[in-house]
Amino acid sequence: MNPNMRDLIVSSFLSIFLGLFVSGLLMLFLGANPFSVYGRLFSFLVRDGYTFADIFVKATPLIFTALAFAFTFKANLYNIGAQGQFYIGALTSVAASLLLGPRLPGIFSLFLILIVTALAGGIWGGFVGFVKARFNANDFLVSMMSVYVALALMNYLLRTVLIEAKHEYPQTNPIADKLFIPTIIHGTRLHAGFILAILVAIFCWWFLYKTTIGFRIRVVGLNPVAAGYAGIESGRIYIIAFLISGALAGMAGFTEVNGVQHMLVQDFNTTIGSEGIGIAILANAHPIGIIFGAILFGALKVGGSILGQTSGIPSSIIGIMEGFVMIFVLLSFWVRKKLELRRDIAKLKTGVKR
Amino acid sequence: MDTPFVELKGISKYFAKVVANNNVSFSIHKGEVLALLGENGAGKSTIMKILYGLYQAEEGEIFINGRKTNITSPRDAMGEKIGMIQQHFALVPPHTVTENIVMGSLHGILNNQDLRQRIIDLADHYGFDVDPDSYVKDLPVGLQQKVEILKALYQNVELLIMDEPTAVLTPQEADNLMQFVRQFVEKGNAAVFITHKMNEVMKVADRVVVMRNGAVLGDLEKNGTNEHELSSLMVGKEIFPLENRRRSHSGTGFEVDGLSVTDQRGHKALDNIGFTIGKGEILGIAGVSGNGQQELGDAIIGVLAADSGDIRIDGESICHLTVRERIKKGIGYVHADRHAVGLVLDMSLGENMFLKSSFDRVAAKGIVIDRNRFNDYADKAISDYSIKTSGREEQVKGLSGGNQQKVVVAREVDIGRKLIIFDQPTRGLDLGAIDYVHKTILAERDKGKSILLISTELSEIFALSDRIAVIYNGKLLQTMDRKDAAIEEVGLLMAGITEEEQHEP
Amino acid sequence: MINIIARALLMSTPLLIGATAEVIAERAGVMIIAVEGIFLIGAWGGFVGVYTTGSYLMGFFLAALLGLCVALIYGWITIILKQHQIVTGTALNIFIAGIVAFFHRVIFGVPLLPLTIEPLEKLPIPLLSKIPVIGGLLFDQSILTYIAFLLALAAYFILFKTAVGLVIRSVGENPVAVDVVGISVEKVRMLVILIAGVLGGIAGSFYSVVYLGMYTEGIIGGRGWIAFAICFLGNWNPIGAIIGALIFGVAESIAIYMQSSGGGFLPNEVFIALPYILTIILTISRKQFNVPAKLGVSYVKEN
Repeated sequence: MNPNMRDLIVSSFLSIFLGLFVSGLLMLFLGANPFSVYGRLFSFLVRDGYTFADIFVKATPLIFTALAFAFTFKANLYNIGAQGQFYIGALTSVAASLLLGPRLPGIFSLFLILIVTALAGGIWGGFVGFVKARFNANDFLVSMMSVYVALALMNYLLRTVLIEAKHEYPQTNPIADKLFIPTIIHGTRLHAGFILAILVAIFCWWFLYKTTIGFRIRVVGLNPVAAGYAGIESGRIYIIAFLISGALAGMAGFTEVNGVQHMLVQDFNTTIGSEGIGIAILANAHPIGIIFGAILFGALKVGGSILGQTSGIPSSIIGIMEGFVMIFVLLSFWVRKKLELRRDIAKLKTGVKR
Repeated sequence: MDTPFVELKGISKYFAKVVANNNVSFSIHKGEVLALLGENGAGKSTIMKILYGLYQAEEGEIFINGRKTNITSPRDAMGEKIGMIQQHFALVPPHTVTENIVMGSLHGILNNQDLRQRIIDLADHYGFDVDPDSYVKDLPVGLQQKVEILKALYQNVELLIMDEPTAVLTPQEADNLMQFVRQFVEKGNAAVFITHKMNEVMKVADRVVVMRNGAVLGDLEKNGTNEHELSSLMVGKEIFPLENRRRSHSGTGFEVDGLSVTDQRGHKALDNIGFTIGKGEILGIAGVSGNGQQELGDAIIGVLAADSGDIRIDGESICHLTVRERIKKGIGYVHADRHAVGLVLDMSLGENMFLKSSFDRVAAKGIVIDRNRFNDYADKAISDYSIKTSGREEQVKGLSGGNQQKVVVAREVDIGRKLIIFDQPTRGLDLGAIDYVHKTILAERDKGKSILLISTELSEIFALSDRIAVIYNGKLLQTMDRKDAAIEEVGLLMAGITEEEQHEP
Repeated sequence: MINIIARALLMSTPLLIGATAEVIAERAGVMIIAVEGIFLIGAWGGFVGVYTTGSYLMGFFLAALLGLCVALIYGWITIILKQHQIVTGTALNIFIAGIVAFFHRVIFGVPLLPLTIEPLEKLPIPLLSKIPVIGGLLFDQSILTYIAFLLALAAYFILFKTAVGLVIRSVGENPVAVDVVGISVEKVRMLVILIAGVLGGIAGSFYSVVYLGMYTEGIIGGRGWIAFAICFLGNWNPIGAIIGALIFGVAESIAIYMQSSGGGFLPNEVFIALPYILTIILTISRKQFNVPAKLGVSYVKEN
């Protein structure tokens, strides 16, 4: 196997291992024994079908938010607003679901809701692309700020227009049964949204690498000057990239509302935006790598909550595990580069000394 | 002068894919101008950067005045009174001349008045005319170089190393520079002049070290050698002069009429430019960098908008067309900067060949890229142009300069069915690649295309062009037939000295 | 009305400190993407320091120290290991949120009632604070507020009137120019990052130690990012940062006032979102002029 590929696989596993190891060390502060803690966690994950399937349930929205960041990253743009586009998507999804109710046949309605949700997320994200193209506004800042605006909007609507019939808590009524995304494995929460996520990831890969528009997006990302001379209009690409990116993040709203929660409440999935960024980074913005990264993070999240239930370790361990894994992966980027350089120089030296 | 000021012994340096210096040894003496001669990629810059502390050698030693010295950073080199002027200036454009010269050698609070005076005194001492308060980004390249030199002089260097200093100067400015170098050396200092131009070596050097492929091939007294010997050492084989059978062209293919263009900073870059190029004709535009050449190419391809004037291909105006549409009309543009503009370094050879074709129905069905066409296109370029590469999947940043340029040329020649613009097409290439590019340019002309050749190398202009024009300050001074042109005259025009001024008593 | 302006100065304090730190760093070409995390760990450290020792000095010291630690890690990964600034910063922000929550649990367990400390008292400047109207406004503020403004002015002086400042600015515009005179670009960048860590930590501690008197998970709520934006909107100039911080301070102050007085006809959430909407508007209307040319670009020597 190509030595670079071998390094990649080895370092990925090593990073995950080290990340978990160091997190385990921190558990000592709580008086817990990391070996027994992890042991219990592992056995739970493997034995209990429900728990195991939950990994993929948790991974689903992460695939979308990671794809969202990666997509614009390929154009050298920064969409830090996936969390906000997710909120907008979730709002649209729940509003459309409540509005439609059980009027139309299930699958058809679901499809409609998906499209509307994606559109909503796309418009919210597209706004960033538009101001970047038109005013050369800083996409990082604008997308970042849009999250807080979306959050405020969502909280407002949950308190007023969308509030449940009882008017007790800031949350919506549950949506009609027919509008639930069907589960694909009985006895678990695993719903078809996961399949959708995989298909969308594959579509993104195909779009970026096999189509002319995807090619142009990548050219703009790697060398916008050369793109200009090649007749590619950067502004148009910015808008397209952000539209698609926002739509991707918005779709996470669909899967979470119609697939998991079946309503909309405050304070749910508050970290999937930044986790998506982390996953995209680790996977080097490659759509297929993102699927694996999201599953990893899904496992960390499920694992983290199990740890809370069985060993009394607080849920903040999840962020720690994620953080450590990401840091070790960053270190591994550097290590791999060094190894590659050393290999190349060794090749040269043997060539000269002949 | 028994103990040399600087002695390099057995220096070797490896980069990721290439041996830059292979067991290099030579010495530098005070009171002497040493020319380091070799073609692009020979390793001349590398060895001097090692001496200046920018690079660290893998093997070898440096001796200063007979004492073994470890130079680990430019600080050490400056401590040994060694200064170096880089090929691409290491200046801070938004800062003033004064700020640039003193940066790094001061502490505490800046006393502007005092510093200004020091700079003025220094400049006067060497006969340089620079305004200490002007911003570097506003200075023409020749003056920027003076600022770089003043930076070194401010540090009281005794050895001045200059890397390809005349690349951006007019012939007259180059002469002035060489005069300065001689004066500097006559004061008991040493100078090293890195160059690939033989005529400069013969004019200013006392001794010549010739390098090729990272190794030293000759260490000679200038007076004991000649251009022919130097040239064969430099290249290692016979060079045959280019065969150029000129014939008359068949009708006008390309016209520029009254073109005026303002650049991004608001300066008038082109002023009422007008010329024609026939089908099967090469028009060579000579001129020192920065006189509007880049803007001319950019305006023709459409990246820069014209304020007024017209551009026509086959009689049809293209002024209102977008870049994409002009590419479709058959305009190829080999840009002067292949790294920043001509190529996307992180993409593969195949993708770079495809760079301008993504809108083309030919290479794609709808929005899906036609893999077969894509692959064939790239493979054909590789074989037609003998590009040395591991295949169309290889990232172009791994290719040598010459092969990179071949990719660009292959693409633009194919796109340029009617007009091809070549801007500095052989900059930074080794002689083999230069020859190849020249032959390609001639071959395309013989196919009946209009060729616009923009270059600072007069020898290149004279070897290839059918007609020659000179650009100066955004204006086109005089267009003449190749057979009526004389190098000295063109050189003067490049400095803005028009015919009348040339013949003044 | 006076109260609103006085409070505006108060709220602008952490933003100004953070923005000044960001200006210095970005002038050298480094974006402190970990700023939100540094603010957070500063808020937590400040709270822990005051709660456990009763000394405010200890609180600020701990905040600065923790900020410095984060900066060390950030600097090591981005400058020495040359990894991507945005990537590293994001990873650290996620990490810090987890670490802070974790150690809060380790140290304090799960308290029934939120833990509180006495917010730092204001420090009226003798004589000056007695001036009618203006005195109460400008000279009867928290010590951190005075420090913030002095810091910004000092930063301006250092950046534009001293040799060190010239080097820092040159590193951000053209690191090659600095490299060839033998100054280590990496050292300069590391230095500005560490400074930013210390200042950012102190800025974050404002929210827990001076303003709220307690620590909660969402205490920073994006304000680190606003400080980041102010650097940008202030054209990478400490004086611009002062103006920017004041504008946002006023916005926050009005928002607080509107929320506490019933909001009138607009829902609360509008005022909560106000600073962020303001940032978006200002970002759109700003033409980027003085971006340091090499901002965010790792300096790789050809070796």
